Amino acid sequence: MRFRAGSRLAAGCLAALAALIAGGGASLLGTCGPFTDVAADAFCPLVLEVFYMGITTGTTPTTYDPTSNVSRLQMAAFLSRTVDGVVRRGSRRSALDQFWNAATQVTTVGTAPIGVKSDGLDVWVANNGSGTVSRVRASDGKLVDTWTGSLGGRAVVCAGGKVNVVAASTPNGTLYHIDPLQPPGAASVVATNLGDLSRAIAFDGSRLWTANNFSVSIVTPTAIPPWTVTTVTTGFGQMGGVVFDGSHIWATDGSAASLVQLGPSGAILQTVTVGALPQFPVFDGTNIWVPNFTGTSISIVRASTGAVLATLTGNGLSQPASGAFDGQRVLITSNNSSNVSLWKAADLTPLGFFDVGANSSRACSDGIDFWITQASAGTLVRF
Amino acid sequence: MRDQPRSTRALACLVVGTAMLAGAANGLLGICGPFTDVAADAFCPFVLEIFYLGITTGTTATTYDPGANVTRLQMAAFLSRTVDGVLKRGSRRAILDQFWTTQNATVLGITTLGNSPGLLKSDGADIWVADNVDGTVSRVRASDAKLLETWTGAPDAWGVLSAMGRIFISGVNSSGPGELYRIDPTQPAGAVTTLATNLGNGAAGIAFDGARIWTANSLGGGSVSIITPGATIPWTVTTVTTGFGETVGAVFDGSNIWVTSRTQNRLFKLDSSGVILQTVTVGTGPGYAVFDGTNIWVPNFSENSISVVRASSGLVLATLTGNGLTGPPLAAFDGQRVLVTSVVGNRVSLWKAADLTPITTVSTGADTSPWGACSDGIHFWIALDSGPPGQLARF
Repeated sequence: MRFRAGSRLAAGCLAALAALIAGGGASLLGTCGPFTDVAADAFCPLVLEVFYMGITTGTTPTTYDPTSNVSRLQMAAFLSRTVDGVVRRGSRRSALDQFWNAATQVTTVGTAPIGVKSDGLDVWVANNGSGTVSRVRASDGKLVDTWTGSLGGRAVVCAGGKVNVVAASTPNGTLYHIDPLQPPGAASVVATNLGDLSRAIAFDGSRLWTANNFSVSIVTPTAIPPWTVTTVTTGFGQMGGVVFDGSHIWATDGSAASLVQLGPSGAILQTVTVGALPQFPVFDGTNIWVPNFTGTSISIVRASTGAVLATLTGNGLSQPASGAFDGQRVLITSNNSSNVSLWKAADLTPLGFFDVGANSSRACSDGIDFWITQASAGTLVRF
Repeated sequence: MRDQPRSTRALACLVVGTAMLAGAANGLLGICGPFTDVAADAFCPFVLEIFYLGITTGTTATTYDPGANVTRLQMAAFLSRTVDGVLKRGSRRAILDQFWTTQNATVLGITTLGNSPGLLKSDGADIWVADNVDGTVSRVRASDAKLLETWTGAPDAWGVLSAMGRIFISGVNSSGPGELYRIDPTQPAGAVTTLATNLGNGAAGIAFDGARIWTANSLGGGSVSIITPGATIPWTVTTVTTGFGETVGAVFDGSNIWVTSRTQNRLFKLDSSGVILQTVTVGTGPGYAVFDGTNIWVPNFSENSISVVRASSGLVLATLTGNGLTGPPLAAFDGQRVLVTSVVGNRVSLWKAADLTPITTVSTGADTSPWGACSDGIHFWIALDSGPPGQLARF
């Protein structure tokens, strides 16, 4: 071991000597930005990029120490700052010079708006009370169309250029379908035999999944309605939200305080214990954020393993209900507060909570703004 | 001068010693997330961020080994996971909660469109689709695939380019010089404006270098045309023939224009005058290539393969086969994935662009002949030349 350490030292000395020779020349010329110990060679632009992007600060204002090894601790700082810099500058908010956090616009939609989703251009809102679906143009918040006939509409998914709305009707949930190409009118009924009280909906690339009271329904679209529905009950309690992570469907079980990973037939593959009464989660590309309504917390679950990485509390949570992700930040709505809570998604640090004027229901992002429904106020808020 | 490295080494030893002490103390407390060997100091949030992001898993479930050096092999894993994580969560698909990959023809969003939809391009909001049989260009809103407008008067409409706030179309005239058309999207739909009628024969692929428009010309022996925008019509056209067989695809990599030659099985890198700077041998029958920010993906129609070429060096990094490739004419890129159409096999194939691993193959349905494709950052859009009538599919 001593020999090995010695040879490493010798190698280090050689490298240091080389650096001194190269660096010594460069330091006199000062050719690589502020760094006097980095040669003005092919590596210089790479060093300058990580300096200008704030990924490194150098070892001093004028040195970078180019030949030193990187410890795992230092590497964590470099990678973390890399992720932050790229995500922040790559966002649409950055390109539009919109770095603020504030509720900036209120659009009046129907009665008791709950479900909300962006199709990339317009925001679609399921109004549970009035049985209508509002189409709001994201750029200016204008109410463009109102579709009718979606009695009890509760949740929305935009998929394949179409809009699907699920209604928490009893004893069977109902699935409505809207073709945005058609003039606004009544939504089509494509299934009336979902499980009881469907509250949430997700798409996996070929089928729609709804979370119901004591069941999960899998809906296969067909050319002519009604669409094919398979309802699975085994192992399910009062289901809350449903989310697709690119590989699997996950659903929250409110009565069991769990998040379950499902196989293609709806069989439970994995059960993750979360907080009390988990509601409507969101996937951020790596982790699933599960708002625990009575637990007043957020469970962060690694989708690839099912491990609970952290349980977040505070930051204004009061009956947290629904999550949304905008590429950088996760927003959590609170049923019992006019505040919404924001976290930096990458490191789970709180970004504060913000008053949006009324208690909020659910939320989505279009990549620029978050859109928040407020059932009690009948409004859609741009945040 | 000799003192400096020695004192630096002494300082480094001190730092390591401090870290070990701090790590040992916090090991008992376990205050940096799950890690017992990381101090709850200024570095802790960085360690937690790469842990929460899945960039590191730690050396064990409870240790991170903060003082250890990183080998180049480990570094490759860390950087690869960093790139993947950033691209995935930064995509518009992630923001819209659309993590799915369309899995079959039944759930393709289909819009009936013209007789023979071919090449297409997004302007960021709408998709513009050329139809050489109808001589039309269709404007389709990406959010809901509504056909907004159909522009006429574009015989042989082939390649589509969105640039300068306008849409440019190459005309692939089979019996004479090619055409260049322009659409002003702010005007009511009507006839396109013809900018030039003296391009090389069979003007197909079209690209923009920031100042001039380039077309790859696929007939009459083959050539490349360079069109300079001007205040008056017709625009100035320079056509270069030296060294070119029948060229098909044209891409701009931020520095140079590249064209594929289907008769020479080559990818050519061009200088600003159209002189060939570099010749890359690719597969048989190269078609419409795409640049992913680092590499150029060249679909080889006649040998069911993709040549992946490093733009900075011209090196062929890999030749991809399988994954359903059957007569691939064209590749498209969405920031994460490359989609290649198989017009013969009636399917599309997807690769992860960062590491060239195949993702999946999806059928577009019998006799659908998918060939043109582009991305708007959320969806791929695929022209199905199944007609008449033809179709536009949202993938």
